[in-house]
Amino acid sequence: MDSMSSKQKTIRTVLYWGLPVLAVVLIIIGWISFSSSNPDLMPTPLDVWERFIRTFTRPVAKTTLIGHAWASLRRVLIALFIAWAFGIGFGILIGWNRAARAFFGSIFEVIRPIPPIAWIPIVIMWFGIGEFPKVLLVFIGTFVPLVINTSAGIEMVDKINIHVGRIFGGNDKQILKEIVIPTALPSIFAGIRTSVSSGWTTVLAAEMMGAQQGLGSLVTRGWQGSDLSLVLVAVITIAIIGALLAVILQKLEKVVCPWNNK
Amino acid sequence: MPDNENRPVKVEVKNLTKRFGDLLVLDDMSFNIRKGEFVCVVGPTGCGKSTFLNCLTRIHMPSAGDIYIDGVPANPRKHNISFVFQEPSALPWQTVEQNISYGLKIKKVPQDEINRRVNQILDLMGLQESRKAYPGELSVSAEQRIIIGRSFAMQPDLLLMDEPYGQMDVKMRFYLEDEVIRLWKELGSTVIFITHNIEEAVYLAEKVLILTNKPAKIKEEVYIDLPRPRDITSPEFIHYRNYITDKIKWW
Repeated sequence: MDSMSSKQKTIRTVLYWGLPVLAVVLIIIGWISFSSSNPDLMPTPLDVWERFIRTFTRPVAKTTLIGHAWASLRRVLIALFIAWAFGIGFGILIGWNRAARAFFGSIFEVIRPIPPIAWIPIVIMWFGIGEFPKVLLVFIGTFVPLVINTSAGIEMVDKINIHVGRIFGGNDKQILKEIVIPTALPSIFAGIRTSVSSGWTTVLAAEMMGAQQGLGSLVTRGWQGSDLSLVLVAVITIAIIGALLAVILQKLEKVVCPWNNK
Repeated sequence: MPDNENRPVKVEVKNLTKRFGDLLVLDDMSFNIRKGEFVCVVGPTGCGKSTFLNCLTRIHMPSAGDIYIDGVPANPRKHNISFVFQEPSALPWQTVEQNISYGLKIKKVPQDEINRRVNQILDLMGLQESRKAYPGELSVSAEQRIIIGRSFAMQPDLLLMDEPYGQMDVKMRFYLEDEVIRLWKELGSTVIFITHNIEEAVYLAEKVLILTNKPAKIKEEVYIDLPRPRDITSPEFIHYRNYITDKIKWW
């Protein structure tokens, strides 16, 4: 690193800051040129911007864009908190306790590959289209990656670390709390990251099936009303919130697992 | 030999035998280690050194015979036994100082005593500046120093070291060997150091236990009566080294 001249460093900095900006600019240019030649298929960025403003001046379903975003986010957060509590707990249980793994493992292996949206018909038939079934769907979608990552992390704990705890005279509880769970924390966190993105996609799918509020319902409304600008407003909002959640989680991971900064 | 006889017996191994099914690994081993003694155990590869250590720490229970510390059967909950593994075994999610205080916290040592000991170890091991660092951010040798420091911080009744420098280059090994001697002298711990490196054993030990090929028995106890720091090129040193090498030969 020392041998690198300051000029090279500046070039690198400019490059690594410049390239992402360039990518976004290229997409916008592509968008503008595509939409101007195919106005029926694709609204222009300006149309989308105006439609964005209109979601505040003339709210859809008496709710502004922020209201819709919050409706989606609230469902995800409620489901996530429940899923974190149960999923991590359950993951630790089947990762640590052989009997629990033997008992629950096979059931879980069967349920695991079912994509969360495949549950939508069953959940709607059983619970209708209110708040609860949506939260339940998100819960199903987030619970699975949490359990998988947590139990995998627990199972992967290095024997030597457990021996360290034993030799210093730690009992099972201390070893679980002070050795096993900290070792598994990076994979638990990977599970949390997956659960957030999976929860965010599941809630949109659930809302598209029938909801008064939520970004997913905006997509459906725009689609059914041939209002592609509204669809794009919703889609871009979805993307921005998803990206924000990812950034927040990244920061949080640095706080929770500071030793894991590769 | 000289002042050894005056020190009380710290660890007493009586008829220690370990079988895995029909396989006899440790065959009726008996020996004593005196308080504050530095003992090296050498033996041919695969002779059961690890099993021997695992019996001492109670990862395995002996099939017959037992180990007594201060006259009481060894028990990690009651006794202070520390272990330095061959592989890096610092806890990656803890900082250097947390790693060093780890065992002390399990033993519920009062906090001000923990602070005092951790500081002492950080000083002795030259780790003061990286006390807040994580093991992953340091070099391999620094990580090994953390582990050695963590073990000495316990002021253990018995400190077991399993080829702790097996993976290191010569320069680092010489440096850490001196470190271990310094800590041992400073803290007066009782140390069992397993190695297959005879030069290392002669350099470190007050007493060398030579094991036979499997099933392991004690072949001989050799007292190394050389002043410290030892000169590995001196004729006396080479004499000890050759003597032990001859004893260990099983071919």
